Amino acid sequence: MSDSSHPLVVACDVSKSVVGPEGALDILRGVNLQILPGESFAIVGASGSGKTTLLGLLAGLDTSSSGSIHLDGHALESLDEEARADLRRRLVGFVFQSFHLLPALTAEENVMLPLELEGASDARSRARQALDAVGLTSRRRHYPAQLSGGEQQRVAIARAFVHGPRVLFADEPTGNLDQRTGHHICDLLFALNRDHHTTLVLVTHDAELAARCDRRIELEEGRVVAAGAHS
Amino acid sequence: MRMLWLALRSLRREWHLPELRTLAASLVLAVVALGVVATLAARIERGMLAGAAELIGGDIGVSSPQALPDNYADAARHRGLQIAHSASFPSVAFAGDQTQLLDVLAAGPRYPLRGTLQLGDAAGRSHIGQAPAPGQVYLDHRALVALNLKVGQPLQLGGRELTIAAELQRQPDGGQLLALAPRALMNLADARQAGLLDPGSRARHRLLLAGEPSAVDAWRQQVQASALPQGAQLITPEQTQERMRTSFDRAGAFLRLTALLSALLAGIAIALSAQRYARRKTAEVALLRALGTPRRQVMGLLLGTLGALAIPATALGAALALGLSQLAWLFASTLFGSAPTSLPLAPSFAAAAMGLAVLAGFALPPLARLAEVPPVAVFRQSATRKTRRFDALYLIPVLVALGLIWAQSQSLTLAGILAASLLGVAVVAALLAALMLWLARRVAPGAHPGLRLGLAALARRRTLSLIQATALSLGMCALLLLAIVAPALLQGWRQELPPDTPNWFAMNLQDDQREGFAQALEKIGGEKLNMMPLAVGKLTTINGQPIDQVHFEDERADDRADRQLRLSWADALPPSNQVIAGQWPGPHPAQAEVSVDTTWRDMFALKLGDTLRFDIGEGSIDAKITSIRKVDWSSFRVNFFLMLDPAHAGNLPHTWLASFYLPPGHADGLAQLSRDYGNLSLIDVDSLLDRVREIVDRVGNAVRWILGFSLLAGALVLAAALAASAAERQHEAALLRTLGARRAQLRVAAACEFALLGLIAGLTAALGAAGAGWWLGRAVFHIEHFMPPLVPLTLAAIAAALVVMALGLVGTRKVSRTPPMRLLREG
Repeated sequence: MSDSSHPLVVACDVSKSVVGPEGALDILRGVNLQILPGESFAIVGASGSGKTTLLGLLAGLDTSSSGSIHLDGHALESLDEEARADLRRRLVGFVFQSFHLLPALTAEENVMLPLELEGASDARSRARQALDAVGLTSRRRHYPAQLSGGEQQRVAIARAFVHGPRVLFADEPTGNLDQRTGHHICDLLFALNRDHHTTLVLVTHDAELAARCDRRIELEEGRVVAAGAHS
Repeated sequence: MRMLWLALRSLRREWHLPELRTLAASLVLAVVALGVVATLAARIERGMLAGAAELIGGDIGVSSPQALPDNYADAARHRGLQIAHSASFPSVAFAGDQTQLLDVLAAGPRYPLRGTLQLGDAAGRSHIGQAPAPGQVYLDHRALVALNLKVGQPLQLGGRELTIAAELQRQPDGGQLLALAPRALMNLADARQAGLLDPGSRARHRLLLAGEPSAVDAWRQQVQASALPQGAQLITPEQTQERMRTSFDRAGAFLRLTALLSALLAGIAIALSAQRYARRKTAEVALLRALGTPRRQVMGLLLGTLGALAIPATALGAALALGLSQLAWLFASTLFGSAPTSLPLAPSFAAAAMGLAVLAGFALPPLARLAEVPPVAVFRQSATRKTRRFDALYLIPVLVALGLIWAQSQSLTLAGILAASLLGVAVVAALLAALMLWLARRVAPGAHPGLRLGLAALARRRTLSLIQATALSLGMCALLLLAIVAPALLQGWRQELPPDTPNWFAMNLQDDQREGFAQALEKIGGEKLNMMPLAVGKLTTINGQPIDQVHFEDERADDRADRQLRLSWADALPPSNQVIAGQWPGPHPAQAEVSVDTTWRDMFALKLGDTLRFDIGEGSIDAKITSIRKVDWSSFRVNFFLMLDPAHAGNLPHTWLASFYLPPGHADGLAQLSRDYGNLSLIDVDSLLDRVREIVDRVGNAVRWILGFSLLAGALVLAAALAASAAERQHEAALLRTLGARRAQLRVAAACEFALLGLIAGLTAALGAAGAGWWLGRAVFHIEHFMPPLVPLTLAAIAAALVVMALGLVGTRKVSRTPPMRLLREG
């Protein structure tokens, strides 16, 4: 399943609707896409266009109302939440706009979390390596509150890469950062994407960031209105 | 006004928050628990006082060897009080060739003002009656047997022929509780006409009064302000018996203890809910501050919201307290005492005020901290400064708790023991939790993944874990004290009066009668016979100084110095006596020694080494104080203020005092015994024993009622403690699920986490409850050899740990189902 010629993420005619106070609401309508291993892929669109919902569905955090999604060959709609969690633990890394670090843990302990969930015995040394890779060796004993926004996002990136995921999902990874710091974070994400051959799927408003990806799609009211590749 | 409106609007919007509902429910429960207990306690106390009034036959009275001047009765009439005259005297009754010395009470038509006169007719049927009409007399069973008479037959008493109209079964006792001889009740006018009450007779005249408590108090103050006639004494319910007073005190302490623990439980729940509410409000306060709202206005809004919640909750609590205590009274008044009393309103209002104090004390500190939230926190919550000056605010709940303990317990010892025990529990729980968190960091890497995650979870929420462990420990300790230690203390109290406790005393037994008496007693079924020597004398000098020349600070001393006193001696220290200073006399001391009870030590300001001279019979004895004893006067054993050493006291003129147990239905034999030993005085303490047992039962019933509220308060503490970390837990669960944690992993982690919390809480609580129980048993309830029930406490501690774990897991079910998408939605 890890053949580089086979797509790692496939979405076929994916729709998602929810029932709100004013009746059924279609968030996604008939989305189709394929993402190859090692590729960087951007999902762009206005607020409310369904970007984050699509990211959640592709990562197996939620299930679609219709259509199918395959992650590394696994049909997500046929898996229950437990099986999807198992898949996420093995294959997936996440970076969030609000970092989502646990405030009571040090930078190092935060990075150790995915390894601890796997029951890895060398969690601490691998976490240190990951922090070295994002340039935070000296900050490993700091708590999130003692770190700047950029540093917190670097810890989050270290956490996302530490267990060697095949695909990294990033939701507005620079959304909470200034332009310069955002640049650094992007550089870091793409460097890791390149070095580890990790597939990168990101949701962003940032046109520059989207432009750095291999391919992109644009959503509008839940539909793919444009798709393109950068050379 | 605008602020009030804003506060009300804010409350309406936030009412769905679980912490606000828990806070309101805790407040209502605190008021209900305090109110119901105080109302029931007030009623029970009134009932007990009424019971004591039954013992003396009125609310208050005065007795005198001479007929009392009319001004006492006039002053009572003037205040609207009912009055009843009576007189008691010994007199010999004749029936055919039988004669018997009777203890006669001659009573006017209004007798008794309080309590009931229980009579039996010729067929043996019981009914309630009044004092006998002229020409009639009532005799008790012993008198009927001794004179070989039946109801309806005549007898000669005081030179008049009277008809026995009924058997005297139970009568208010005029405060004496002594049945020196078989009893008779006759008409007061008959006794006067027979000349039985003339000057020079051995009659003791009594005026009893009853009416409104305020009028009784006013009469009492008026009488106490002027000197009573020579030899006259006030008779008050409080003075009925030292033993009864001890029982009343114990009963009160029990009720107050239970109410107090319930209120403290509610206080803990309030503190936890307020803290959670404050945490939730931090972002909102930061936003309001950023939008330019002055700090004072923000605080005003917060306090207004709290007030808008507190006032209706308190009012509801007070109304429920009144309703429930009335309901309890309607359905179970017989459990608490039969005396009809009105519903006292004051305790519920006081409980409402105390509830507000609990709320202010426990909720204010976390909310006051919000004043320090800077506007910049809207960007980064970590910008919230931690200012030390607000740490002092956390003394408020401690002070409120201490104030509550003091106000409720009305006893420094009880307050001190409770405060020290709960403080000890809090400190030990916090230390144990801190130790566990410290270990968590060290043990975690090598531990089972579930345990490791559980420990990590506890460590992640360091402060919350400490608060949870402490609150759960305090809550459980209070519950264990209520549910296990209090009933054990009551049981201990009950066991002090086993069914075969000596219920008769015989005084005036001579040396040569001892053997015959013991045999005769055995024949009529008497058991547990114990005899002690008894010498009657007077204290004449202290350290050579005549007693009438010494000035005592204690007013009771002059009165006691005038009276004859009873001395005894024994080789060994009697049970229910404890030497607290000096040593019990050895077998052959060089000089006469005396052991003094603490009451006497305090009254006469005595100390070890002082020499007392007693005139006994024709001679006197000088004895040095070599020990001070603490005597448990509630033990119903024969006890003495003064005990001499047997080597020197053995030859003093003395009689013997016997105590024995006579099973029910054997009293007939006593009539023969008192005829054979005419010099004997028999004292019946059965009614007194019954009354104390009744008090224990009433308290037990009241405690059971209160326990229900306490359990509810305990459940609230548990809910609030577990809810305290719910938001963090949910966020963490979502993150861990996103990172691929399995549901089972989260559940095992939560089980380990709550089991550890529960174990710390259960262990500390059981230790605290056992320690506090042991201490309370000895220092407050004076129950000899009281041991807290360790096995039930241990089992309860384990059960508590399991309950915390189970409830934690139930709470976590929802948390572990938190959709991971939530994180993406949160941004």
